[in-house]
Amino acid sequence: MAWNKVAVVGGGLIKFGELFEQSYEQMASGAFDAAVASVDKGFDPQLVEAAFVATQRGTLWGQEGIGGNTVPTAIGLAGIPCTRVENACPSGSDAFRVGAMAVASGVHDVVLVIGVEKMRDKSGDEGLLARAAAGHPVYTRGETAPVLFAPFATRHMHEFGTTREMLASVAVKNHFNGARNPNAHFKNEITIEDALKSAPVCHPLHLLDCCPQTDGAAAVLLVNPDRAAEFTDDPVFVAGFGVATDHPYLHEKSTFTGLRATTMAAERAYKMAGVEPGQIDCAEVHDCFTITEILDIEDLGFVEKGKGGVASLEGETAITGRIPVNTSGGLLAKGHPIGATGVAQIVECWLQLRGQADERQAEIRNGFALQHNVGGRGSGVSVINILTTNR
Amino acid sequence: MTNPVQIIAVGAAAPAWRLPASEVATAWGRKGGRGQAAACPADEDVLTLAADAALRALAASGLQTDIVDGLWWGTSRPPFAEGPSHSFLAAAIGLSAKSGGALCAGSTHSGIDALIGAADAVAAGSARVALVVASDAVVPGAGTSFEERAGAGAAAFVLTNDEGAATLGARVTRTHPYLDRYRGDDELETRDIYDGRLFREEVFLPVMRDLGEQLSALEVTSWSLPDPDGRLGAAAAKTLGAGTPASAGVYGALGDTGAAAPLLGAIAALDVAGRVAVVGFGGGRATGIVVDADRPVPGAAGLAAVLGTGRSATYTEVLRARNVLRPNGETVAMAVPPQSAQLVRGADEILGLLGARCVDCGTINTPPTIHPHCISCGSSKFVLEPVARHGVVHTYVINHTMPAPFQAPLGLAVVDLDDGARVMLQVAGDGSTLEIGSEVDLVLRRYAYERGVPVYGYKAAVRTPDTDDTAAAAATEEA
Repeated sequence: MAWNKVAVVGGGLIKFGELFEQSYEQMASGAFDAAVASVDKGFDPQLVEAAFVATQRGTLWGQEGIGGNTVPTAIGLAGIPCTRVENACPSGSDAFRVGAMAVASGVHDVVLVIGVEKMRDKSGDEGLLARAAAGHPVYTRGETAPVLFAPFATRHMHEFGTTREMLASVAVKNHFNGARNPNAHFKNEITIEDALKSAPVCHPLHLLDCCPQTDGAAAVLLVNPDRAAEFTDDPVFVAGFGVATDHPYLHEKSTFTGLRATTMAAERAYKMAGVEPGQIDCAEVHDCFTITEILDIEDLGFVEKGKGGVASLEGETAITGRIPVNTSGGLLAKGHPIGATGVAQIVECWLQLRGQADERQAEIRNGFALQHNVGGRGSGVSVINILTTNR
Repeated sequence: MTNPVQIIAVGAAAPAWRLPASEVATAWGRKGGRGQAAACPADEDVLTLAADAALRALAASGLQTDIVDGLWWGTSRPPFAEGPSHSFLAAAIGLSAKSGGALCAGSTHSGIDALIGAADAVAAGSARVALVVASDAVVPGAGTSFEERAGAGAAAFVLTNDEGAATLGARVTRTHPYLDRYRGDDELETRDIYDGRLFREEVFLPVMRDLGEQLSALEVTSWSLPDPDGRLGAAAAKTLGAGTPASAGVYGALGDTGAAAPLLGAIAALDVAGRVAVVGFGGGRATGIVVDADRPVPGAAGLAAVLGTGRSATYTEVLRARNVLRPNGETVAMAVPPQSAQLVRGADEILGLLGARCVDCGTINTPPTIHPHCISCGSSKFVLEPVARHGVVHTYVINHTMPAPFQAPLGLAVVDLDDGARVMLQVAGDGSTLEIGSEVDLVLRRYAYERGVPVYGYKAAVRTPDTDDTAAAAATEEA
């Protein structure tokens, strides 16, 4: 039996991309407006009782100390309670979970969850790449973001015979989907050949195996299910969620063919929602790199461990496939503005469950969609939210 | 009369690169340029070379590192011109925090100074086991007369007053105050502001002749002689009637290794029984020491592999590594600064590779200071011990996209060490030979040179057939 103590009645995002012309505040305002405009029966912004904002890394636009108060002023709601939630790449999905708990607790009836991230204000070496100073606290340096995932690709290829073509097939599929999403960063289709021939970034990952650095914002509106009818006749409910942590450094991993945080979070989320992986109709999963999506679909139980590459190459995760994954274009094509990513995934699941995903609409049979992020040091944090239309 | 001082083992090391002299000659519009010289990549320097040689000598001795009473280190350019050079090297080798010794520096005579200092400490009974290390990585002024010959390398001797394969004997010193090679405050490069003919005829050859006459009387069978420019060595040998010195092969492979040269030349002679005269020169001083080898000295056979390895490097690569050719723009901070609180907490784990073995389940947690609880079982009972320095690659990447001062391609490997610990390390070199299952050794390397401060840590060096030979030779001698 699904949890269903919170209803999602609105969701929207701004078009993702290199938004040099927009400030952090303008992006936040745009996403909030899009969420408000999406509510079937209309929504008075003054109804928002509290907000939870996900921004992972203010330093990428020169703000060391952003807190909760940046967003209310930007969206015209100065004064409301607002808390910043930071939990690495799953920041957006964890802000959603925290917002859901605020509603379910009975403290608030109407909550805004908003993710905003400026990735491109700082260029090149001052931006995300400067993270190369991270890594093992005393032994390793040079750990840029791809280093968190590429070792898994090397080992997955070694143990299961996964090939670069299989990795590339994930990028091809997600670019195909992104080309059908008006809010995606990239709207061009690519071929396997394009991906194979792209420049090496972090062996065995090449440029088209990697998500871009993207500015973006997304917002969703959560309400007490008892009040959902004020806003829509087609609410989507929070069926369950799961969060898990794993050791923060790569050398502490016992295996490099899967992400333990995802496996544990999935167990908890499925149990809370009362569903099996086979009942999920579509999923937005964390594909910061092609290998990540292959690990995800195995760790989430959609395919057998080791078969993720073959399943991708054979189209099982396409919009028309057995389990459509990343119909939005995923992080690879839609983009990965970190704090906004999880919230934008929720929006895609909300659209899919309500049959509003246009030419990228998946077939909804059981009424369940799953949203997943994994990241942070050693990919040691995973958050999963499961949404449903089933009452 | 105290026991004569014995050499029980030796070790040698050279950096990864060989710079063909023709590369330098061409750059300056000169014809020719014969031979090659060893050069350090950005992650090697006098400290890392010293650590490599010292660990090889200690492995060949079969002794535990913690019984070494003192470290005597000779180098013409310590990594910290004024700073913790000696204590960093001692920690990296795994010496006891109670060990003594001295840092001898300031000229290419420093290697001999270190040998003499250690020998006197052993003879006086203030050290039972003394470790001598001589290392240098000459940074020649661009376009100087000795640039083509400026090399890099390191040699280490383990001395005791017990039974060793060789004995230190008579020594002779001659001083002649004169400024030949020079490097002043704030100067990166060593300069030649002297007249080469004046130096040769009035300083170098007269001193060598005087010294040589004393040593020749002792029925010396082979020589390790200084050769600062590629010609003086042969001239000195001719003056002494010494034939081809044993050191010629070292100079041919590595160039002039400065303070390390006399000891490396000695190692070349110590793989057979005989009487070697070890002569060092620098800073207006020359010293010769006689060494009697009863039998091959453990570790000496490893020199051939050290001389035979190394990849050819271009002049621009070498200039970049020497920090003569610098990229424009900002660089990121990328390591643990030696002046930080993190190094105060973690010096032993950063330099001495200390791990925390869980008493309850045996898992080794690295580094100890961030693991108050075991990653496997949650216990908080640990025994601190150095991790193994050899292991096998479990998985790896080769990073092509990093900010300066990182240089791509950079391998990063997850390594399963022989003791069961798992670590993740940068890979030395360009990672081109890296595979799952590759055997690697953990070696001290310079991670960065930040705000003028060298920052050190460990890297994984993939074993090649040559280094396998070195390790096998050391293992055989140890057995």
